[in-house]
Amino acid sequence: MLRRLLLIASLGLVAALFSATLVRFAPGYGVEERELDPRWSAESVEALRHKQLLQEGLASFYFHYLSALARGDLGESDSLKRPVRELLTQRLPVTGSAIVRGLGVAWLAAALLASLGLSSRSWLYEASGTAFSSLLLSLPSAVVAMLAVHLRAPVFCAISVVVFPRLHRYMRSLLVRSYDQPHVLAARARGLTSGTIFWRHVLPVAAPPLLALFGVSFAIAFGAAIPIEALCDSPGLGQLAWHAALSRDLPLIVNVTFVVCLVMLVANSLADLAGRTVIGASQ
Amino acid sequence: MSPLQKVAAILLCTILLLMVLASIFVPAPYARQFRDIPNAGPSTAHPLGTDALGRDSLSRLLYGTRVSLLLAPGASLLSTIIAALLGSAAGLIGGWFERIVLALTDLSLALPWLFLLLTVRAMLPLDVPPMVSVVIAFLMMGLLGWQSAVRVICAATRGIRDSDFLLLARSTGCQPARLLLRHVAPNLRPLFYVQFWISIPLFILTEANLSILGLGVMEPMPSWGNLLRGFENFSALAANPLRLVPLILLVLVVMCFQLVLPSQEVTQ
Amino acid sequence: MRQAWIFLTLILVLGLPAAVRAETARQSGGELHFCLHGEPKTFNPLLVEEDASETIRYLTGGVLIRLNRQTQALEPGLAVSWKVSQEGRRISFHLRSGLRFSDGTPFTAEDVAYTLKALMDPQLHSPTGDSFRSGEGQVDVQIPSAAAVVVTFPAPVAGLERLFDQVAILSAHSPKKEMAVLGPFYVADYSPGSSVLLHRNPNYWKKDKEGKPLPYLDSIRLDIQRNRDIELLRFRRGEIQLINALDSESFDSLQKEMPAVAHDAGPGLDSEQMWFNQVPSAPLSEYKKNWFRTTEFRKAISMAINRADLCRIVFGGHAHPAVGPVSPANQFWFNSSLPVPAYDASGALRLLAQVGFRLEGGALHDSSGNRVEFTVITNAGNKSREQMATMIQQDLSSIGIKVNLVTLDFPSLIERITRTYDYEACLLGLVNTDLDPNSQMNVWLSSAENHQWNPKESKPATAWEAELDRLMRSQASAISDKKRKADWDKVQQIVAEQQPFIYLVNKDAMSAISSAVVGSSPSVLDPHAFWNAELLRLGGDLALGAQK
Repeated sequence: MLRRLLLIASLGLVAALFSATLVRFAPGYGVEERELDPRWSAESVEALRHKQLLQEGLASFYFHYLSALARGDLGESDSLKRPVRELLTQRLPVTGSAIVRGLGVAWLAAALLASLGLSSRSWLYEASGTAFSSLLLSLPSAVVAMLAVHLRAPVFCAISVVVFPRLHRYMRSLLVRSYDQPHVLAARARGLTSGTIFWRHVLPVAAPPLLALFGVSFAIAFGAAIPIEALCDSPGLGQLAWHAALSRDLPLIVNVTFVVCLVMLVANSLADLAGRTVIGASQ
Repeated sequence: MSPLQKVAAILLCTILLLMVLASIFVPAPYARQFRDIPNAGPSTAHPLGTDALGRDSLSRLLYGTRVSLLLAPGASLLSTIIAALLGSAAGLIGGWFERIVLALTDLSLALPWLFLLLTVRAMLPLDVPPMVSVVIAFLMMGLLGWQSAVRVICAATRGIRDSDFLLLARSTGCQPARLLLRHVAPNLRPLFYVQFWISIPLFILTEANLSILGLGVMEPMPSWGNLLRGFENFSALAANPLRLVPLILLVLVVMCFQLVLPSQEVTQ
Repeated sequence: MRQAWIFLTLILVLGLPAAVRAETARQSGGELHFCLHGEPKTFNPLLVEEDASETIRYLTGGVLIRLNRQTQALEPGLAVSWKVSQEGRRISFHLRSGLRFSDGTPFTAEDVAYTLKALMDPQLHSPTGDSFRSGEGQVDVQIPSAAAVVVTFPAPVAGLERLFDQVAILSAHSPKKEMAVLGPFYVADYSPGSSVLLHRNPNYWKKDKEGKPLPYLDSIRLDIQRNRDIELLRFRRGEIQLINALDSESFDSLQKEMPAVAHDAGPGLDSEQMWFNQVPSAPLSEYKKNWFRTTEFRKAISMAINRADLCRIVFGGHAHPAVGPVSPANQFWFNSSLPVPAYDASGALRLLAQVGFRLEGGALHDSSGNRVEFTVITNAGNKSREQMATMIQQDLSSIGIKVNLVTLDFPSLIERITRTYDYEACLLGLVNTDLDPNSQMNVWLSSAENHQWNPKESKPATAWEAELDRLMRSQASAISDKKRKADWDKVQQIVAEQQPFIYLVNKDAMSAISSAVVGSSPSVLDPHAFWNAELLRLGGDLALGAQK
């Protein structure tokens, strides 16, 4: 368990430092918009550039970052001039709640739609379900975000609209397949109610892949959150990441990548763990 | 093929045909600005009206379709190949290799891919022709878009890892690489096809997203994402509902791709 | 089907609170509500660099001399009177007495001295402070009495009085440091990423004509909203009462629905321009550098661009062709004798023929046979710039020139134009907040940073650039405005002849003000909609013009 956590943490750090390298050597690092302001005197511009030069060395940056991290200090954002930790603590709950609710609604909706007509398997349910989720799947997430803005819908709705169709497809095929298992047929033959069949026979078999899907859906939600938050102007982690990328804010990018990576790795690990527990329990 | 799939397939073929024969159908070159009639409604000369700069919307739609429909499959192919290699290798070898690959997959999902695209864009020499920059953009997307497929392929490979024919091949001393190519891959071929087809609409959508965010294809070349940028202004949409046509086309094409998919069931 | 119902109820339960929350609360009367387009980076008025902080400084800071944005004349602020002497080197203020900061701390000349000393500190690098730096040496601040301050500069500062409009006075003694202010409002609350709340300053010195204390408003709420479309949407719904800078598309759509709300104050100070890279060490091919350095080439390009079309199509008529670095809105400093550039493609071709360019098979070639082709870079995300560049592409293709357009994100763009010089032509805009030409010193001096087409020259590369240097230095040290205007007129003349910057358009200053706001009078100078914030009131139609 501890080994796993350490692995996750070190992977997160690797990702963070990789993105730091990327940012550092990308074009446009170290230039500021203020250089175009003619009111600055030559000395001020020089002083500005000199300050950038002092932050040059990547190796020293790694070292300083890691040592500061050990102390719990995440550094200060260059572009927003505030401690990164403060920014993260403010924005994480916003994104977190949007993602949790978005995922919740998406999962419920997907489960609802997927479980409709499982026993009857009529053509209408299949076609309409597929058509609906295909339609939603075909909308670019930027368009979904814009629609959310126009309809005054909160951010999590946009996220659930993006995640739902992907979930639905997998869930549908999974549930359909589990429904065709011999033991389910036997249960149906014995005359058990559809409710009992669903909860006691179909679901436990489908549970492990579903849990694995959970991790993937988390990643999808997180990935979708960035453009959606940027377009909806919601003060969350996604908007911060977007802003950090555009303004080449090294401390911010490193920390945001670290956090995002940690969250995703943890989500996936939990999903794996849960999956294995369920398999173990059912055996 | 179900009736729905047949309809979808016919629709796709029609669009493809229109796209290929675009040069015959277009009323005017897609870059030509008719400055007297910006934002015009439909007319005989311009069946879908003109855009904000007076360029014919129909021409831009048809040429934009070319960009998206020709390049997305390329990106999809690239990402499927990468995902196939990584996923099947991970599933086959298992153990720490598998864990590393899966961790790498998660990692790359967390990386600021947007930033990477920005960077590549900014590093390109300026006199690169627009077409080349578009190709490079799609290549980048392909190189960055393999993550979702890897897990599925890995799980599937894991499933057949302990099957009889593989055990037989291994016991006869088959090299791992050969094992992969000659025994695993053919069995997973349906899965690869599925992934390829699923990814095409994803890349079309990614390109649309990027263009809306301002990182897409260079002017004056049209692409669906470019055309969708007008959506930011809702009132302009209300004034000229024909502006929805690119979105409808995009949704239609992507839906058709999904409906036409070979069966999604992954045989285990 | 029972489980289906369970799922449905669960979804509703999750979704409902959000739907309820989507209804934003209407604010009570007396609170003006509008948006900032970014996070304010600082509340220290001396360090203000960007828009958001500048808005807060404008609303909270007390200044010695205020520039009336409507009349473009100077008015007394904290200083009852002032006198400029020693040819622009010394300024003496006579201050109002009996004033207090927002937290009650008394205001004296000491505070002014403290602020000025902090501002003039060479270690402090800020645009406000740098505007005063005219020469080497210390700035001397004397306090002859409790209500008088005398400031002496090492060298004459052109337009000295006007610069004090940017200097908000800090308290030397207050425990609240920069949060104790002398302006009409003070910062009551700041929630980062979300909003800034300003409350009425009870100790504000100004009173209206009837002697009632200003400001009328109880508070101002500034939401941080980067997305202009969402801002417009909120304005339509009545959630915010004004939009300070409106683009032409939004203006047109607002004007159709609520004509009383959209205001076009006329041509503003901002301009959009294009220039060619003339840096000798740029990584471009020699023949291209030769084109860009040829005056006739630049003039021909300027002639071949249809500015009227740009104004009409990209800005919906809410812009005017630009003549030079100064817009006609700047009544005093604009050189009205300059001709408006006319669109003349055949004239452009004739001019190009004079320097060896020939049209062959629809493509322009130079005297060595190279095809004339170059790339224009501009920043991504600015729709009007991208549209202008696309239109310029077509204009120039009609004279056989092939133009490629590349949009880059801002940092990469800046790196190319200030560090690597790896670009051919650039299209950007200039935001001018100052009327006085001296603020553009760093643009026209050949040795300066912002001499964009060839920055930091060790000596002027051409005779006309040397002449520009001479004229700029002359106007900086001249005392009479008339002499300065003569110099600056000549600068504008040279720029029109040589076209180092090809000025395209001057955008109109447009703003949207709800009919619920009483007392507004939109101006051409920034801040357009709320420059007289102390006189604004919420009253009138409280339905906020949203549905009428």
